[in-house]
Amino acid sequence: MIRFAWLQSRTQTLVTAALLTALAVTATITGVHFSNLYHSLVGHCQTGCDLATSDFLSHGHFMQRMLDLVAQVVPALFGIFWGAPLLTREFETGTYRLAWTQSVTRSRWLVTKLAVVGTATAVLAGALTLTITWWYRQFDVLDSNQYAVFERRDIAPIGYAVFAFALGTLVGALVRRTLPAMAATLVGFVFARVAVQLWVRPHLIAPLHKATSLLVGGMGFEISDGTVHVITKGAAPANSWEVSSNLATSSGLTPTTAQVSAYVHQYCPAIAVPPAAGQSVGKAPDPSAFQACQSQLARAFHLVVSYQPASRYWTFQWLETGIFVALALLAAVGCYWVVTRRTA
Amino acid sequence: MTVALEANGLGKRYGRRWALRDCSLSIPQGRVVGLVGPNGAGKTTLLHLAVGLQTPTAGTVSLLGDRPGSGPAALARFGFLAQDAPTYSRLKVREHLTMGAYLNPAWDTAFASARTEELRLDPGQRAGTLSGGQRAQLALTLAVAKRPELLLLDEPVASLDPLARREFLQTLMEVVASRSISVVLSSHLIADLERVCDYLVVLVAGTVAVAGDVDSLLASHHRLVGRRRDPLTLPSDQSVIEASHVDKQTTLMVRTDAPILDPGWTVTPVTLEDLVLAYMRRARDGAVELSTGLAAVQ
Repeated sequence: MIRFAWLQSRTQTLVTAALLTALAVTATITGVHFSNLYHSLVGHCQTGCDLATSDFLSHGHFMQRMLDLVAQVVPALFGIFWGAPLLTREFETGTYRLAWTQSVTRSRWLVTKLAVVGTATAVLAGALTLTITWWYRQFDVLDSNQYAVFERRDIAPIGYAVFAFALGTLVGALVRRTLPAMAATLVGFVFARVAVQLWVRPHLIAPLHKATSLLVGGMGFEISDGTVHVITKGAAPANSWEVSSNLATSSGLTPTTAQVSAYVHQYCPAIAVPPAAGQSVGKAPDPSAFQACQSQLARAFHLVVSYQPASRYWTFQWLETGIFVALALLAAVGCYWVVTRRTA
Repeated sequence: MTVALEANGLGKRYGRRWALRDCSLSIPQGRVVGLVGPNGAGKTTLLHLAVGLQTPTAGTVSLLGDRPGSGPAALARFGFLAQDAPTYSRLKVREHLTMGAYLNPAWDTAFASARTEELRLDPGQRAGTLSGGQRAQLALTLAVAKRPELLLLDEPVASLDPLARREFLQTLMEVVASRSISVVLSSHLIADLERVCDYLVVLVAGTVAVAGDVDSLLASHHRLVGRRRDPLTLPSDQSVIEASHVDKQTTLMVRTDAPILDPGWTVTPVTLEDLVLAYMRRARDGAVELSTGLAAVQ
């Protein structure tokens, strides 16, 4: 049965592999080029490294846009073009009647197909994400917060692709028609990705907390209906994932919005001027007044930052991959149940 | 004698509609069985239930004594040619034979390749580009090379032109004779079955209208033509399948195992087609309402 499953999926696997090889060749050629550029600009810099770094980072935007797109989209494509049609094609052309009357049980037929095509999905998605991660290695070191590109690097995309494939087959088994199954797979996949990103991932491990001065990191003011909101950002340690940052009083309590607003109104009236009528953004305050206000606020408040440290990056990668592989197994079990139990 | 296909109170419901209802029959092995009935009579449903593609809503069915879908051994014992002869349009003829070899432990490689050669099927051709007749032949080859004890074919010739139809049935009979396989063959056209079948099951509106050996069915049914009379006056061992009356004449089809002695009747034999059509009409219109039918014309 393995040989037959391969016979049936051979063409699509080889075509996909060829496309990915073309991408990998492009990535290798440009990757070597950027690697040389990195070494000549940044690798040996003694002085003026900031300039050299920004010079290096000004290159390769086209490839970056392309690879970002590929990394984001390809896992979903495994679901839409491999997962969804896997069973719907059998139903639509009636070939399930041929397949299920050979001397192989329906359950073995399904499990083997899922295993063979699922493995091909994992292998090809793995090759893809390896290529992309390798291409980005120097850009990532210099530029990005690793958590900002979390979904497009390392092993997480393998989990996404395997899940998309399994979801596609489950939807196909339920819907039995290719186009609706493809559409439903895309919707389901995007929903699962967003749900995990927004509601699951932040709660996987309790974040660390750190108190810092208000003078660290960025700060801004937002005025609406006379209330001044203080916005803070970037006070978490480098390369970590800032979950939240809140003001706190010297006694450790979180001040209310009204308290903060009143404080700003009292100590920095120059900041608390609302925008002129008809304008959404107020005139930028005088830098010295801004700094004065910042120091003024720093006397009364400090920042409490919740963050996931850089060292937990791989833990999160494994957890994310694990969650999606587990979801994929769940979808596969559902598909098995539908195909073997439900009347054809 | 072992039983090829046995059904007891078998029923299958789709939503509110019963595609097959209270179907009981027992088909002996070693026969070529014609399963005939109008479109929508439940022929496909019956065959799908028998091979385990579907599960019954009511009753039981067994194929060669096995419960359908009970495992690979049961699957290996029959060959099934589904309606419209499904094949994988993107796989080549050769790859279909490879599939058969991969998926069936008893696969007869020599037969499969000899057969495709005889049919002049190009092994490198994709199944999607074959003609309807060639595709049906390929599907039949796949089903037979499994070395089944029983071959079930669902409307195998319905979509074929007359020449391909004849060729297909000829191939089928050659194969069946040389390999002593039992066959169940469905069709909505009795003409397709007349030449090949020796056992007949007539299915109408989801139930079995009549079933039996073709020769004994023909021997026990007679057409009686005579002076107009009420069929109720017939001897009790003659059951009326169909009655029609014009002016002074009554025509009946009766079933009886005893000879017809009444000299008032002209007795002629019935053809298989007459017989099947009579049962189909009867099942459609309900059993002959004898005296009221007569009263209406009087």
